[in-house]
Amino acid sequence: MKIYRLIYTRAGRIFVNGVWKDNPIFCMILGICSTLAVTNRVENALAMGAGVTFVLLATSLLISSLRKIIPARIRMITYMLVISTFVICVDRFLKAYFPRISEQLGPYVGLIITNCILMGRAEAFAIKNPLGYSLLDAFSCGLGYSYTLLILSVIREILAFGTILGRRVMPGTWTNWVIMAMPAGGFVLLALYLWIMRNLAKLEPEKGGI
Amino acid sequence: MQTHPLLIFLGAIFAHNIALVYIIGMCPLIVISKSLKTALGMGISVVFVVILTACLNWLIYHLILLPLGVEILAYLIFIITIATSVQFLEMVIERFFPPLQATFGIFLPLITVNCIVLAISLFMVLRDYDFIRTFAFAGGTSLGWALVIVTLAAIKERLMLTGDIPKGLKGAGITMVILGILALGFMGFAGMVKM
Amino acid sequence: MKEKIKIVFFVFCLGSVCGGFLSGINAYTRERILRNQELKIKTAVLNALEIDYPPEKIEEVFSKNIEKIENKGRVIYRTAKREVAILFSGPGLWGNISGVLALKPDLETIQGIQIISQEETPGLGGRIAEKSFLERFVNKKTIPRLLLVPEGKAKRENEVDAITGATMTSRAFEELLNKSIADFRLLLKKE
Repeated sequence: MKIYRLIYTRAGRIFVNGVWKDNPIFCMILGICSTLAVTNRVENALAMGAGVTFVLLATSLLISSLRKIIPARIRMITYMLVISTFVICVDRFLKAYFPRISEQLGPYVGLIITNCILMGRAEAFAIKNPLGYSLLDAFSCGLGYSYTLLILSVIREILAFGTILGRRVMPGTWTNWVIMAMPAGGFVLLALYLWIMRNLAKLEPEKGGI
Repeated sequence: MQTHPLLIFLGAIFAHNIALVYIIGMCPLIVISKSLKTALGMGISVVFVVILTACLNWLIYHLILLPLGVEILAYLIFIITIATSVQFLEMVIERFFPPLQATFGIFLPLITVNCIVLAISLFMVLRDYDFIRTFAFAGGTSLGWALVIVTLAAIKERLMLTGDIPKGLKGAGITMVILGILALGFMGFAGMVKM
Repeated sequence: MKEKIKIVFFVFCLGSVCGGFLSGINAYTRERILRNQELKIKTAVLNALEIDYPPEKIEEVFSKNIEKIENKGRVIYRTAKREVAILFSGPGLWGNISGVLALKPDLETIQGIQIISQEETPGLGGRIAEKSFLERFVNKKTIPRLLLVPEGKAKRENEVDAITGATMTSRAFEELLNKSIADFRLLLKKE
């Protein structure tokens, strides 16, 4: 009963919105590039999810605590500076401690800078809300993004290579669906995922045709 | 013998298309592909901005960042260059070519956060291109991207006429399906060069 | 006016804080990144020569089994069984391809090939780094010349199946391998 009530508090609402109702991927359709490009292996998806969540948290922390000093006219460039700084951190960290993952992700780590989720959350939330709520919002959006990546990558890796995290899970007779590791498979799988999730979340379709 | 610039140019348009093989630049593909006319406007703006920023970034990287040994700042500087040159371009168009303002003006601010602009600067560094190859690569890649957005918009315009799409698939979903089929089609370009 | 000064001041502060922070990160991680690169070359050499090693003891196994000979800027790795490994590096279709080529003691037959880095298109040319492709080179002769032929057509012992759909990468790779082997032979002759 108490947990049920929790979702009616402000914090609860922010959390539910980030993870489910306003999920960055299937509701706001943000950050699709990385969603497709890195989900051919679970390992890459985990690293990407963690990386984006970290940058989200760090940016929200900084932007939200500085929100009273940031001049309104140059707030965009401020977001960009802050985001790029933290992305470079993530890039360096991966290079130093997880060289293999860093190599597989290649330029996509740097491309976190242009991941619209980051700019979106900074502008829509962190710039006008207090620190605690901003951090919660960043965390729940990061979580919402990461679990989508995880679901897609698990499906793709099983079908394309017969493995999860490099461990074999399918029987020896399994024929790899190579197409699932390729962009074409990713596109179609994401379409199916969007279809299912949008139906589950009972989202109204966009207005103005297709 | 490094790859010939012309080959880089053609390869980047077709067989190694940035949207369908590297999956970069998706957000505008989904949002701005509702009508052929706007898609074309966006495509042309991207071609222009990408070539401009790639050349600028090459100069900055090789003439300033490398000699000073501060490659770590590369991403930061690249994104600032992109933001500033887009802003500058917007001002120039507004001041000197007002007719263009109506057509392309609305796309320019959107391009700053378009990943392909940054991606090309990143690839250029990773692949260690010289200036000519950077130019060919930027031109080819952006034209390839423009080709995809125009094709996509044309298909979606047609689809709108028949228009019987399941509710949940509308918008992003159906775009993904079309892109998937296009990606399959573009895989055929890979076999064009015979051994 | 006052607002403008405030903006400039703010950007300046933010810029220097970011810059300072990043140079700190750079100094902190640089050594580890360099060590990772070195470790990567060593792992590739061990893999190409088919020497087993536990993942945490790469350095140890490497220094025990392999002798490093440096000659006029070229590095040759040699084992006790007189197998050799050479590093190769050169342009592919998109970017630089670098790797290790190991030859059997007769210095003609390929023992193994490993790719260290490549920038080819994922799913097309990027497949040159896949194990299944690199295994095609094992036991092939490099004399008179290594040839990459259309997939499924390799008959003679100096022919290797190329990758369908990645003709340009395959060609560049063929060129690169033959050039490094020729360079290596030249070096041998001089000694």
